[in-house]
Amino acid sequence: MDSADVVVIGAGVSGLSSAYFLARAGRDVVVVDKGIVGGEASGRNGGMVSERVDEPQLIPMAVEATELWATLDEELGHPTEFVQEGRLQIAVTEKDMGDLLAERDVAMRHGIDVALVEPSEIRDMIPGITERTLGGLFFPNGGHANTQLTVQAYAWALQDLGGRLYQNTAVTGLRIVDDKVASVETTAGDIAADVVVGAAGPQTGLMAELAGVHVPVAPARVEILATAPVASRFPIALVGNGLYGHQAVRGNLIFGGGAHEWTDVDLTASPGKPNTPLIRNIARRLAEFLPGAADAPVIRSWAGVVEQAPDYRPIIDILDFPSNYVVVTASAHGFGISPATGKAVSDLVLYGETDIDISGLGLNRFADHGPDWREKRGWTPAPLRY
Amino acid sequence: MESRPLVVVGAGVSGTAAAIEAAKAGVQVTLIDENPIPASMAALNVPQCFGQRFNAELQDRTLMLQRVVAANEALAAAEEAGVNVQLGTCVWGAFRNTETSRTLDGPQLGLANNERSWMIKYERLIVAAGARDLGVAFAGWNLAGAMGANGAHALMHRYQALTSRRIVVVGADNLGLNTARMALDSGIEVAAVVDVSDSLRGDEALSAPLQDRGVKLYTSHTVREAIGRDGEIETVVLAEIDDSCEPVPGTDKVIAADTVCLAIGLVPNVELPSLLGCDLGFAPELGGYVPVHDDCMRTSVKDVLVAGDAAGFHDGMVLDSEIARNQGRLAGVAAAESLGAIDTAETTARKRDLPATAIDSGPNDAYANWTRWLRALLSAGGSDVAVCPCEEVTRADLIGLRPPRFLKWKSERRDGRSLGTLAPDAPVNPDQVKRLTRAGMGHCQGRLCREQVALLLAEASGSDIADMPLMSYRPPVRPLPLRVLWSHEESEQVRREWAKWFSPTSPVLE
Repeated sequence: MDSADVVVIGAGVSGLSSAYFLARAGRDVVVVDKGIVGGEASGRNGGMVSERVDEPQLIPMAVEATELWATLDEELGHPTEFVQEGRLQIAVTEKDMGDLLAERDVAMRHGIDVALVEPSEIRDMIPGITERTLGGLFFPNGGHANTQLTVQAYAWALQDLGGRLYQNTAVTGLRIVDDKVASVETTAGDIAADVVVGAAGPQTGLMAELAGVHVPVAPARVEILATAPVASRFPIALVGNGLYGHQAVRGNLIFGGGAHEWTDVDLTASPGKPNTPLIRNIARRLAEFLPGAADAPVIRSWAGVVEQAPDYRPIIDILDFPSNYVVVTASAHGFGISPATGKAVSDLVLYGETDIDISGLGLNRFADHGPDWREKRGWTPAPLRY
Repeated sequence: MESRPLVVVGAGVSGTAAAIEAAKAGVQVTLIDENPIPASMAALNVPQCFGQRFNAELQDRTLMLQRVVAANEALAAAEEAGVNVQLGTCVWGAFRNTETSRTLDGPQLGLANNERSWMIKYERLIVAAGARDLGVAFAGWNLAGAMGANGAHALMHRYQALTSRRIVVVGADNLGLNTARMALDSGIEVAAVVDVSDSLRGDEALSAPLQDRGVKLYTSHTVREAIGRDGEIETVVLAEIDDSCEPVPGTDKVIAADTVCLAIGLVPNVELPSLLGCDLGFAPELGGYVPVHDDCMRTSVKDVLVAGDAAGFHDGMVLDSEIARNQGRLAGVAAAESLGAIDTAETTARKRDLPATAIDSGPNDAYANWTRWLRALLSAGGSDVAVCPCEEVTRADLIGLRPPRFLKWKSERRDGRSLGTLAPDAPVNPDQVKRLTRAGMGHCQGRLCREQVALLLAEASGSDIADMPLMSYRPPVRPLPLRVLWSHEESEQVRREWAKWFSPTSPVLE
């Protein structure tokens, strides 16, 4: 039987980063995925990197991540297209402005560099921005990267260290012996493992169920669009007018936002990821927000399925039973914090504890969430009608 | 939102036939066609490869509308039959509910003109969206003057706005020979017709008159490069090739021409069937991935039918427009029957006048021919030719999986990676290669490079082209400006309850 020190389930950004840091520490690592590298949300998100002041419990991880991002290309040996020129959150309503001021207070309490900027400064920072801004909050350490290049960079760096990557290989079962996962059953055969890292994205809950463990996550589909390259440039990641996004190094505007749709997923199949006419509403908001780019042609859109825990925060935890199973799920924050996630998971596996504070990310915070939690929250798919 | 019993997309031979047939059966039909297209879209080589060889008249929409109507007699016949004809309207999206998207109020299309976009619901849809130009790279094909056969046809026939004066036609199938004939008839000089085959592939009825009119036909030849000044093609260099597609030294011919017209093949427009989740099958004799359909032109998705070049194009269809017309009529009858407009007896009667061979497929393997062209162009032009002109990705960049040049990334570990190291990990996936190299990510939305990227990846990785998955199509399938795509009719509720990111109350899209 095939075997490894660590089997990582999921070749998304969290799984690959975890695998990379474990391989760097000398562990023999296998990553299995039902599809290709970054085929799901990890390769299809907005590419935002921030200190996550909006989720204070994530700040320690996110700050660590932004530091790791600064040298990640050199670390991995492959480019991620990371640009660290800051993140600007812009208020277009009085309510937005109130939210920004509250976030500024949180940032300052946590010692994070932040500055309030005036509408006139915003116009200098972002060519083509609407005249109707009320102010902004600038985080100099924020940035953005190319999601596809990033996942592939992790994957190649892992392989460069001798790690193995089994794509198009679905996990079908976890064989439990005593209180541990003894092997991972896949469509390409069983793999014996000392430790198993479940970083299965939307399938996180289904995967844990194979070990008889309840991990409450709800999958949801979200949408994003891209324009052709726009001549006037801004390297700053942007949030405002109900959208988040950035201008890629090539010049394309990549922006998402708006309603998500709760859905169900299958353990071994890739969920459908259609766009909906929502892209028209995103286009409208983007044109309102950046009227100088209103003539830019939209040339693509895409959707991704992400998972959310009940409190919108990641879960990074090593279980009591099976005692060698690590749950990693990021509640759609995974891309930006991925270097810190990998480091934390690696520490958990190697030492049972982490340098980075992940105390608020344990699974036990959901001990009172039974199997019907999604129904109770209303986080279930709409009835199917064709 | 407007709702129509039957929407037909595309007012070519098959689309008009489908619309008229269904209207005669008593169905309320809307027939949509994007012509005349905005000049800004033509400049992006969408939906055909126009090679910037059009004059300013293309910007005069009133004039173009007159010419589009004058060039297509069937449009008047359709209107006479009661069909609601909407010209100058493109279909940029098609949506229906699926397991993971359940909030739509029925299947619908996204439409747009050059001012605004809107949605329309349908009960039945016939996709008769035609075919587009196959792009195959040669050195200089990013210069103005490199165009495709359908682009040339549109500019000559439909718009009368082609500015070419002297043209080299690449490809001597019926498609290429017919293009040369049309060019001569339009007063354009045809400097050469070139084919890699050792004999003319097209029908003698087309080639003989060309030879009579003094057109030079070069068999066993390929294009080495197009050379230009100020971004405009001025000369074309041809080279003779041997049996293994290698150029024969000392056989180069330099030909003065302002236009190179790629007429090697056409690719069925399957964007809408793909967006709707219709099963697509790889049919090399029909131009690649085409919607799987039954003998009534119904696809695997209930309510969606296909007809004409969009259902599969073969070179025989250049000579015989009856094939597309019959497919359209079959689809129109089938749609009318399924809407309950006619009963089974009536359906049978209406189908009776249609020949049994109505949807015969073509005799030759287009992909084998395309592969031969690819080899010849590669051996004559080398690896440093941009496969994806929009993103300037060369053949070598593609096979080397090189990151975009603007990143200026250099590392030994990176250089150790290529298609050769990716292929053992998993079957080659053009979408994955696209995201790493940007080939196919440009403003033409991959129209110029999809097929040759797939062919090159298959050649370089030793895979069968039939195993190469289709590079995905995503809406909008036309490059619509933000101000056009945007939702003018956005409801107050959507606006008020817009979710910035996940939040406990999230609105359902109307």
